[in-house]
Amino acid sequence: MGLITNYNLRSMIVRKGTAAMTAGGIAMVVAVFVMTMAIAQGFRGALVASGSNQNAILLRKGATSETVSAVLRPQLPLIESMPQVARARDGHPLASPELVVIISLPRSTDGNPANVPVRGVGPLAFEIRNTLKFVEGRRFTPGMREINVGRQAVNRFRGVTLGSDVKFGSATWNVVGIFTADDASFESEVWGDVDLMMPAFQRNGYQSTTVKLVDPLAFASFENAVAADPRLDLKAYPERDYYEGQSETTGTLLRIFAVFVTTILSIGAVFGAMNTMYAAVAYRTREIGTLRALGFSRVRIIAAFLVESVALALIGGAIGCILALPVHGISTGAMNMTSFSELAFKFRITPALLGAGLVFSALMGAVGGLLPALRAARIPVARALREI
Amino acid sequence: MKFVSLVLKSARRSKRRTALTMISVAVAVFLFATLRAVLDGFDSVAAASSATRVVTIRSTSMIFTMPTSHTEAIRSTPGVQDVTWANWFGGIYKDPKNFFGQFAVDPESYLRMYPEILLTPEERKAFIEDRTGCIVGDGLAKKYGFKVGDRMTLGVGIPVYGSRDYDFTVRGVYRAGSSAVDNQSMMFHWKYADERSTPQGQIGWYVSRVADPDRAVQMANAIDAKFANSPNETKTQTEQAFSAQFASMLGNLNVLLGSVALAVVITTLFVAGNTMAMSVRERTTEIAVMRTLGFPSATIFLLVVGEGLLVAVVGGTAGALLARAVINGEYLGLAGGFIPAFGVNNWNVVAGVGLSVLIGVLAALIPASMASRLKIVDALRRVA
Repeated sequence: MGLITNYNLRSMIVRKGTAAMTAGGIAMVVAVFVMTMAIAQGFRGALVASGSNQNAILLRKGATSETVSAVLRPQLPLIESMPQVARARDGHPLASPELVVIISLPRSTDGNPANVPVRGVGPLAFEIRNTLKFVEGRRFTPGMREINVGRQAVNRFRGVTLGSDVKFGSATWNVVGIFTADDASFESEVWGDVDLMMPAFQRNGYQSTTVKLVDPLAFASFENAVAADPRLDLKAYPERDYYEGQSETTGTLLRIFAVFVTTILSIGAVFGAMNTMYAAVAYRTREIGTLRALGFSRVRIIAAFLVESVALALIGGAIGCILALPVHGISTGAMNMTSFSELAFKFRITPALLGAGLVFSALMGAVGGLLPALRAARIPVARALREI
Repeated sequence: MKFVSLVLKSARRSKRRTALTMISVAVAVFLFATLRAVLDGFDSVAAASSATRVVTIRSTSMIFTMPTSHTEAIRSTPGVQDVTWANWFGGIYKDPKNFFGQFAVDPESYLRMYPEILLTPEERKAFIEDRTGCIVGDGLAKKYGFKVGDRMTLGVGIPVYGSRDYDFTVRGVYRAGSSAVDNQSMMFHWKYADERSTPQGQIGWYVSRVADPDRAVQMANAIDAKFANSPNETKTQTEQAFSAQFASMLGNLNVLLGSVALAVVITTLFVAGNTMAMSVRERTTEIAVMRTLGFPSATIFLLVVGEGLLVAVVGGTAGALLARAVINGEYLGLAGGFIPAFGVNNWNVVAGVGLSVLIGVLAALIPASMASRLKIVDALRRVA
């Protein structure tokens, strides 16, 4: 096996121009695949990162997102008194009643208005979402018209830098802190005191409540307790599941786009590989005849040509992965159709995605090499040897 | 003429290779034409939007509503000819996954404002007269099998509309007369929803017709001035600006689709260029013989470019025409109308064929210059 494979791999170098072109075609397809999937992954990742497995979010029964949910004020103490809800050191239950509205801010790149989520939160929200870290300034003071802005939002929209005054909802708010949240969707949001946001936006109830549980395993009993209380027409979701669900509509659309584009592109690249391999077989007809005369079996000839084709494709795939790598971490944004607001996220290229890109390239090589390899195996020995 | 047959002959030399390359170019052009059509779909919404319609929303953002008292204030602005309004209903048809636009509208003025909503006079009358009637776009009707006279029920998605389900009777299936109207939406009586809402009398957005399209921007400012410093400040824009912004909210589509299109072209160049290089290499001896016979090197150059063009254009035309046939835009609005219906049109076909010309020429350029600069003596001495 070693000898003949070695022969095939070395003949790739002999025809380096053709081999390079074929690998180049495959490299482009893999680069497009990795980049478009990196968008879909980044989008989903930003939302998944928003959820912690120790937190639960309560929404009105039947509500699919916070924007269409409602939690009444009298329901909050009922939730807070549940034994599954963790407590802060001072004994306060770790529950944050929240309100999410959308305001319009000009985008920094083109000045067009974009939908930005504003989240009114309870005073303990930062203890519940402990991935939040302040990079500038400090937390807002409850009872003051102060806001905190996520780092992505600061970069993406005009007029929300530290110290600026922002006018929305019949009031003016001062930006006192900028936070990060491990690339989670919170970084695209503006946070302030829920008790001031409600009157400012003429609302008289919360939309959701997020609680930290004493233990991630306590969720099942918490869910049952919520369902059993007739005063609560609410349903509890693990926070991570909820945010993952929020990514579904747009995430699926992005994935469909990636798959559609790369599938079509790969057809072209596979045919390119097929051309190259047919040519390789044609050039080496006499050599193949010799190998067969020496006693190499058909199966080994097929295997050898397949190895050549797959190796060629893998080189292309590796180049494609390298070409795609620089986009990793670049910030971009897209509208989340579920929440109707703009979500900033980063292209996310994971080792698994690169692996998928390589597998994909190997697959293209195998498909493109199969027919030429079969042809090589079927060449009649006598005629092949006679050929010039 | 004799050169054409020569080009045809050399393209037929390796039929399989020519066919594979043609198909490669065909799929690339198919993809290119489709991407172009998606961008055009967005553009056509902006282009079809009327210059005489202005849209008024709350300045905070679209999700906030205004009191009905705004209606008369807007109507009384000099230069405003007609006013209508609508609310986003956001209801649930059987399953939250069945997402489509549902608008609570004032039927008479809304249909007057949007002559692009095409209904028969009977359907129009039946819709206006039935308080629980609704009309659906033909795209939506096809997707869910709605027919005139059908009953349909929407669950409440947004709590302000109460908690009980809403029952409707389909009174008409409309066609969209232009891209300004989405054919995958449903419209029903604003009053029906308002009766059950808390608080009542809330309006999502107003659409006004202005007399003079050249003064639409001034009119928009005049409307906003009426509500300045009130608790319900507004932002009024021409319909065109409004839909362009809506498209920009989806993300930077031009860059995304543009870079994919570029990748398509480069990939295809690799494939087609490789084919041409192989074809020339195979014919080295032949070309040398032709040069010996006195064919000038320019002719050899053109022959190779001609072959590249032939392969690319035949493939490209097939791909473009296939895209025209398959991506016809009839019922293709994705994501419940967030992405407008798109279809490959004749211009996309022309652009696709143009691209294939480019691919053909570029792919043949290097092999052609190699062939034309061939040293006759070396080439003739070479075996195979």
